[in-house]
Amino acid sequence: MSTLDLTGTPCPLNWVKAKLALERMGAGEEIVLLLDPGEPIESVPRSAREDGHDVTVDGTRVTIVKR
Amino acid sequence: MLDESDLERYSRQLVLPEWSGEAQERLRDSSAMVIGLGALGSPVAAYLVGAGVGRVGVVDHDDVELSNLPRQPLHFTSDVGSNKAQSAAAKLSLLNPTVLVEPYPARLGRMNAEMMLDGADVVVDCSDSFATRYVVNEACCILGIPLVEAGVLGFDGLTMTIRPGSSACYRCAFPVEPESAPSCAEAGVLGPVAGIVGSIQALEALKLLSGVGEPLLDKIVQVDGRTLAHTIVSTTKLADCPACASVPAATQSG
Repeated sequence: MSTLDLTGTPCPLNWVKAKLALERMGAGEEIVLLLDPGEPIESVPRSAREDGHDVTVDGTRVTIVKR
Repeated sequence: MLDESDLERYSRQLVLPEWSGEAQERLRDSSAMVIGLGALGSPVAAYLVGAGVGRVGVVDHDDVELSNLPRQPLHFTSDVGSNKAQSAAAKLSLLNPTVLVEPYPARLGRMNAEMMLDGADVVVDCSDSFATRYVVNEACCILGIPLVEAGVLGFDGLTMTIRPGSSACYRCAFPVEPESAPSCAEAGVLGPVAGIVGSIQALEALKLLSGVGEPLLDKIVQVDGRTLAHTIVSTTKLADCPACASVPAATQSG
């Protein structure tokens, strides 16, 4: 399982990077995102859910299972 | 692969749910030709170059005139007297240096149209004459290149997208070439009307190149700048069209 450290990466560039990483993954694969508190942790999980992925948030650590 | 600077530059389109890294790479690997760098061509070329189409050719034989400036935002007062393709290319290269912008300061006509357009993935016709539109349409039909046509006059504009062989071409929609039409100089045009129509053309070209969205095939969108009423009318591919009847249907979809 890969981890993408997006701390220090502002919106919407953090979601761009996560989205492109997800694009390269197979269905059912997992990725962990490390995000900043505030806007990033509020918006990135929402964007991932809107794209249909399974999203689990634990603090500022977000686990995404690609749909 | 897209580099860090690409991700930042294109972030607002990359975040679109409909868009993707693959769509962005398709744009980067594609080539567009913009015919005419006037009121329609200015917004078209700016949006295609801004969005990251890999190669954009700009064709215009005319020089910039003072009376062009209210509706042709790629040209500035200091450009009056310069060739429009060169003037546009200078601004476009500053807008996005990662795009290969190729100026063609030449008149596109029946003799050179196929040679100039060959190899393009989309052609956007921003010319201001009916004769040129029919020439561009026929060349695109022969070469099998998707084409976005448009025209503006006064407060009115129209746009249609053509996938030669599978959708109605310009000659299917307008079979009879008008003898003559009032030029912009005679009829006048209000800049933002051309801006709206050129923006629609740019959107259509980006959709064709990226594979995202649904192009305006077999339809004509008419915009009335007085009321901003948009009307979409259907048009049909003619079985005996002299321009496109013998063109094999494109194999690609979308």
